[in-house]
Amino acid sequence: MGDIEEVFDLFTQDGVILKQAQASYMQFLNSLGTVYINEAKTDPRERFLEWKPNDITVDSDMQDQEWAVVNTIQKRTRTISGSLPSDYSNRLRSLRVPFRDIKSFKSSHKNRELTVYNGQGDTICIFLFQTNCDHMAGHLKKFMKVVPSKRDRNLYYVQDNTLEIQQLTKSFAELNLPTDDSGIWRLVRNFQTQPVETTFEAFSKVTTLMYKTMDKKEISDHDREALNKSITEYGSNNTTDFAGNSNDYEVVATVPELPVRPEFPRLKPLSQELWRDHMDFEGKIEDVESVKNLIFRGGICPSIRKEVWKYLLEYYPWTSTYKERQNLAENLKDEYYKMKLQWKTITKTQEDNFSDYRDRKSLIEKDVNRTDRTVEFFAGDNNKNLNTLFEILMTFVMYNFDLGYVQGMSDLLSPILQLVEDEVESFWCFVGFMKIMSSNFDIDQAGMKEQFKKLQELLAFFSPNLSNYLNEHDSANMFFCFRWLLVWFKRELSQDDVMRFWEVLWTGLPCQNFHLLIAVTILDNEKEALMANGNGFTEILKHINDLSGKLDIDTIFNKAEGVYHQLKNAEHLTDNVRAILGLPLAPSSSNSASSSIAREMSLASDACASNGSAPRCSVENVRISPDENSYERSISGSYL
Amino acid sequence: MAHRKKVLLKVIILGDSSVGKTSLMNQYVNRKFSNQYKATIGADFLTKEVTVDDKNVTMQIWDTAGQERFQSLGVAFYRGADCCVLVFDVTAPNTFKSLDSWRDEFLIQASPREPENFPFVLLGNKVDLEPRAVSAKRAQLWCQSKNNIPYFETSAKEGLNVEQAFLQIAKNALAQQNSAVDLYNEFPDQIKLTNTQKPSGGGDSCAC
Repeated sequence: MGDIEEVFDLFTQDGVILKQAQASYMQFLNSLGTVYINEAKTDPRERFLEWKPNDITVDSDMQDQEWAVVNTIQKRTRTISGSLPSDYSNRLRSLRVPFRDIKSFKSSHKNRELTVYNGQGDTICIFLFQTNCDHMAGHLKKFMKVVPSKRDRNLYYVQDNTLEIQQLTKSFAELNLPTDDSGIWRLVRNFQTQPVETTFEAFSKVTTLMYKTMDKKEISDHDREALNKSITEYGSNNTTDFAGNSNDYEVVATVPELPVRPEFPRLKPLSQELWRDHMDFEGKIEDVESVKNLIFRGGICPSIRKEVWKYLLEYYPWTSTYKERQNLAENLKDEYYKMKLQWKTITKTQEDNFSDYRDRKSLIEKDVNRTDRTVEFFAGDNNKNLNTLFEILMTFVMYNFDLGYVQGMSDLLSPILQLVEDEVESFWCFVGFMKIMSSNFDIDQAGMKEQFKKLQELLAFFSPNLSNYLNEHDSANMFFCFRWLLVWFKRELSQDDVMRFWEVLWTGLPCQNFHLLIAVTILDNEKEALMANGNGFTEILKHINDLSGKLDIDTIFNKAEGVYHQLKNAEHLTDNVRAILGLPLAPSSSNSASSSIAREMSLASDACASNGSAPRCSVENVRISPDENSYERSISGSYL
Repeated sequence: MAHRKKVLLKVIILGDSSVGKTSLMNQYVNRKFSNQYKATIGADFLTKEVTVDDKNVTMQIWDTAGQERFQSLGVAFYRGADCCVLVFDVTAPNTFKSLDSWRDEFLIQASPREPENFPFVLLGNKVDLEPRAVSAKRAQLWCQSKNNIPYFETSAKEGLNVEQAFLQIAKNALAQQNSAVDLYNEFPDQIKLTNTQKPSGGGDSCAC
């Protein structure tokens, strides 16, 4: 920006965050700034869209549904001004996009985001508005010749070149794909109007192709990728449309159906008799899987719960003998008291000079005093159980000082102590539980972030309507499930229910991350209420929080197990979901196009042969493949 | 000025663990105090209808977790806040020392339009307890250094000053909202239309 140029503003709006732009603007991403529509007094006059950062930088992602992973310890020392390095400000002071480069733009996320495209299928930049982009979009529409897209009322094409505009309007999503033949576009269009027929037609063409034209040239990887991408985007755009907004078209059956949900009635809790039956003369548990299965189906009878928990929480190995357990208990007792002695013998001066320790201690003191005080076991003044709770947590700090104490841990310990009573045994059981839960308490919250992502993926697969709704209402981050996941529904259930709930989950059955399927189940149960009245994040959070005390765990377990089987048996199950649930990945999911086509074909014909009902089809799984011309030629050989 | 039928004021309560955020919120909204509140996990809010300057408004008061580790959640909750209430415990000096970082963190994560003018209110809570570790004067000095933040000494337990403090909070939140709306309304004046082109219709040649 060396030359002095005369520029004047046609429009300005501040409170605009730059979400995405070329790599050279990396340092400005997620910074707050002002967006301008400018006109340079050149000849001919040139207009451009410009964004300039404010002085404040934000390195956390303001709006993103993702987590802003904030290292709060570092942040404590950060100031909020003057943090743009000077060499940056000299080099790139603003993002400037000439109008001639803008081929289309789109508003999204309740008009809080504005995306500008270059017509090559690439995004030039994305702005996030603190208020909304209505004004901005309005002025862009005024200053440029635009036509709204018929398919997406939030998408506008810039009309400055007749050739380009033809390509654009024909293009599927906002991608400007090469259109050397109209056939593909007809196919793509038909997915909208007659998805079932079109899918079958596509399959029939694939059949023809497989048998007759395998030696034909392949379309380039780039084109294929672009096509698949456009179809995927198309699918998701449309399902979101019918989730909430009215539109001039509706897509049916883009979402494949799940198998019917089987019923899994709950059984009686594991009884003392059955438990003894599983123990051999030395005290080893025979057929551990069968025991776990019984616990998974009905929980544990309160009379033996205290004993069985020690196995579930890995205090005792399942196959240990009476004698081994006795020895183990003695060793672990020694180990516990060693660690306890470490903090018990810290002197006042030591403590004064040891702020990390002091901080942990003070947090524990604060939380112990407000942990389950309404439960009789912890009620009343000078309750000795509170002191035990304190001492176990303090010893845990010595056991894992880096993790330390994080809010929520006292909630996880409280039912254990209440049941097990013995201080040492409770400690080791708690250690076992923390092995499962510790990532929830990561300093950067990475474990929670990961869980939200997984939950989101499971929900998108199982309940796409709800998932789309959340996406469109600023709630895809799943933050409203924070309490559920952090302490495994401890705050939502009574103390008795929590015990049964946890012991069922500790079995690790029927799959990993079953607690996320429980969350999916509850969300699915609440789906209508969640999506009512255009609820946003606030209302959704309130509804979820208000479910506390109203959840019936038997019904939930029953359905959640059914959900697991529905997913497991779904033909269109993705590898992502498989990975989350710990299921083996699909055998030929890699890149063997022909086998995947063969799979699709057999799938389609199965569906057809079985009952003639609507076939299961997934737009995602249709591969538009090798040669467009052969599609055209084979079109006469209709499948249906 | 805005003439929205229903004015909603979003207020965020921040401060260290166990300074009394949940208690203050419940004392104000439900006029109740309990020793049995649990540590807040995640976030929750309560609403209360109030009259401020002859205007009926709904206050949506957000209570958040106090442990530093959970601050990264703030992004989701701070958005659209009209006022931020900072709380410390007058008997615990560390909770006073954290105020700066709570304030900075809020400004970073909520990124209000004009950070320097965003309304904060400071509450020194638990004045019913002894011994006192942070004097009123020290708190007031801090407030002066931050662009004259209003300061109240409260006791959520005894309901002392809670009503007055939240009334002030509501007033400041309302003022903030109005000023934000004013800013917004000024937009048309700033736009200079020089060469208005009307989009020509009938451009969509898609034959469906």
